[in-house]
Amino acid sequence: MHLRIKDGVTLDLLPTKQFKTVGIKVDFVTPLRATAITARALLAQVLETSTAAYPTQTALARQLSAMYGANFGITVLKAGTQHIVRLTCSVVDEQYLTSYADQQPLFERGMALLKAVLFAPLLPQGHFDPTTFTQQRQNLLTAIKSLDDDKQYLANRRLQELLFAGQPTQAMSALGDVTTLGELTADDILATYHEMLAHDAVHIAVIGDVTVERAQAALATWPLVDRTVPDTLPYYHWTAKTTVQTGDDVAPVTQAKLNLAYRVPVYRNDKDFMATVVFNAVFGGTPLSLLFTNVREKASLAYYASSSYSSYTGTISVQTGIQAQNQTRVLAIIADQLATLQRGEVQPELLAEIKASLLNARLTVLDSPQRLLAGRLNAQLTHVTTSLTDWQAALNAVTVADIQRVAQQVTLQATYCLHGGEH
Amino acid sequence: MLTQQAYDRLGETVYRTTLANGLQVVLVPKAGFHKTFAIMTTDYGSIDNHFVPRGQTQPVRFPDGIAHFLEHKLFEKEDHDAFDLFGKYGASSNAFTSFTQTSYLFATTSQLHANLDILLDFVQEPYFTPATVTKEKGIIGQEIQMYDDDPGWQSYFGMIGNLYPKEPLSIDIAGTVASIDQITAADLYAAYRTFYHPSNMSLVLVGKLDPTETLDWISANQAKKTFTPASPLQRIASPVTAPDQVIAHTTRYLAVTRPKVSLGIRGYDAVPAGRAGLRYDVSLSLVFDLLFNDTSDNYLRLYNANVIDDSFGYDFLVQRGAHFGQLASDTDNPELFIGEMQAILADVPAQLRTAQPQFELVKREAIGRLIGAVNSVEAIANQYSGPLFAGSTLFDELTILEALQFDDLLPLAQSFFGAGRQTVATILPEGLRNR
Repeated sequence: MHLRIKDGVTLDLLPTKQFKTVGIKVDFVTPLRATAITARALLAQVLETSTAAYPTQTALARQLSAMYGANFGITVLKAGTQHIVRLTCSVVDEQYLTSYADQQPLFERGMALLKAVLFAPLLPQGHFDPTTFTQQRQNLLTAIKSLDDDKQYLANRRLQELLFAGQPTQAMSALGDVTTLGELTADDILATYHEMLAHDAVHIAVIGDVTVERAQAALATWPLVDRTVPDTLPYYHWTAKTTVQTGDDVAPVTQAKLNLAYRVPVYRNDKDFMATVVFNAVFGGTPLSLLFTNVREKASLAYYASSSYSSYTGTISVQTGIQAQNQTRVLAIIADQLATLQRGEVQPELLAEIKASLLNARLTVLDSPQRLLAGRLNAQLTHVTTSLTDWQAALNAVTVADIQRVAQQVTLQATYCLHGGEH
Repeated sequence: MLTQQAYDRLGETVYRTTLANGLQVVLVPKAGFHKTFAIMTTDYGSIDNHFVPRGQTQPVRFPDGIAHFLEHKLFEKEDHDAFDLFGKYGASSNAFTSFTQTSYLFATTSQLHANLDILLDFVQEPYFTPATVTKEKGIIGQEIQMYDDDPGWQSYFGMIGNLYPKEPLSIDIAGTVASIDQITAADLYAAYRTFYHPSNMSLVLVGKLDPTETLDWISANQAKKTFTPASPLQRIASPVTAPDQVIAHTTRYLAVTRPKVSLGIRGYDAVPAGRAGLRYDVSLSLVFDLLFNDTSDNYLRLYNANVIDDSFGYDFLVQRGAHFGQLASDTDNPELFIGEMQAILADVPAQLRTAQPQFELVKREAIGRLIGAVNSVEAIANQYSGPLFAGSTLFDELTILEALQFDDLLPLAQSFFGAGRQTVATILPEGLRNR
């Protein structure tokens, strides 16, 4: 059920008795601006820490515990050309508790908590609390730096920087960058906060045993105003480079992380979208794929070798973990798999298995409240809602010729290797 | 015949039986779900590297990493790979090895019967040859090296290595590149015949299923096969580390941006057998919550002093033959972190009394989290304890938790911390070199 709450504010209600919890998700969406990404990430950290009514982390944590371990958090993410600040709150449905004594049901209390976080933050004298601000800025700084401790993440980040050199909004992580962060003040964050509340598109979604009346009544108390939301699609269009960008770094790693980036000019609303999803699954997106079979199972060169497709940016990324001296061999095997698909050589049995596994994966989403909630964002951003029946029909219709046509549009753009150097 | 236990408040029922061949079967239907998750587990993991192989009389010390290697190789057969059979029906399958268990699983939204047969058949029909064993060494070698580059894993294993030096627990679950190189097809058969008897295994299914029909499928599959009678397992216990042999402190250098500290507490007290063991586990987990979670005064004080940050976490683990707690954080002040944590641990009873006002909150939170986990077919299946806590489930954990009182915690806390021994494993940064 999809409702307009105000101009630019929507509510999706997914009523179900399947789960023991009620899940709430609130997305604040705005076009990506390199200068704003970091400020929004820091704002999310500060808002998550405390509120006027719960002025310390402990006070907020104790409130969440009192609400039977309500799961509350704020995260930031990127989707193509859009930046999203996402609040989530999941509470137990009190009908499953043996002795629930509170007057107010937990869904309403969850909504009240989100309201407090968003509209009554800790603002002594109209400014964010200086101690909280400084501490959370420092914590975000270390969190961004610590991301690089994960060498697979680091290799992927460097690959994105190669691929999108000179395009900071795409090259940057959703958390922003340390240079901007060091310069941000509490006043900057306050401005970002007011900007977000007043102008962002707001998409709220609720899943659980909740009526539309209850959801609307809870939202009616939120002081959200009408806003004009630019009607832009989230797709990031870019021009392929004529030469492959290559990069590598030496780091104290035992295993080399070899990553590749390809352009595929197919986006979520294009007619070849489903063919591209299937292409990716055949190429490296599943354990049945050519990459898994040929790099790992046949050649024993890797434990992981996989690909992923981003339908907002028209990119396919490949990740492998290998012995550095096998780099040339692995690159050749990967290139061979793409060439195989470009020649249209896909076994019918493999195609049938891949389709079955994609359908299976799609249906398992129906058993996860978090994934159902997150899935509503795609519909909001693209203005396209595909029913399960239509999705399945599109999947079934994909042919080898379709995969070949997509494969022929896939061009290698960048390769990056993080390795241990000469030993 | 299935026995059933209903948990009325939650609207869930657990069905169980033990087959004639000894296989434990646990079935949990989930109304409204689209997916069925099945997991078959043997009570055999990375620590079980020294045993008397079934049909022999003398103990044999097998190469480290053999249980995990066997897990990889069980999928491959003479003319096919079980992975591909699941693939035909679109099911996703996987497997994992822990210190004490090896599990094989699939998740599917259709063709449950066919997938169930594939699972039972591939786990119960081994096929190992020198060629297939050799082929896997490169793959597992890369898996080991992937973990070598994972600082969180290294920090965790550094701590365990200090708590259990010279015991098999201190060896990485996958072994080392050198140890797996020694594994032969004959070794895999010996381990398989010893530990993969149905009497040492369980099969748990959760999700879209009809219990009676599912049991019929399992029984029909098993009836087609012949199993030797069960015989007692003869695991050779490793020499136990005396309390004064626990390594107090180690420091390593890795490619990390900030120091990582992992403080471990090894229990030397006896964990009660059966269901009481689960109560012990749940109680100690609650003690850790009271002392260290974000509702505690300790947490706010240390957070505001920049001793801990959002990377701080803790865990308490009970398993066959070992139990330990862990406190871990990235921190700019490793010495301060260690000192503060040790100060809290030095007087647990007093610390607990200070935290007593939060008991109801912490208990509520634990109850809520468990009920939330009932949304997940994987969580329900993975929480099945096997022989460790007499086949208890997540629902039993909830029952125990709801009955717990604050006064129950102190004796158990004193028993664990009183006899426990601590270690600290520190990882310090070595700079990234760019060129």
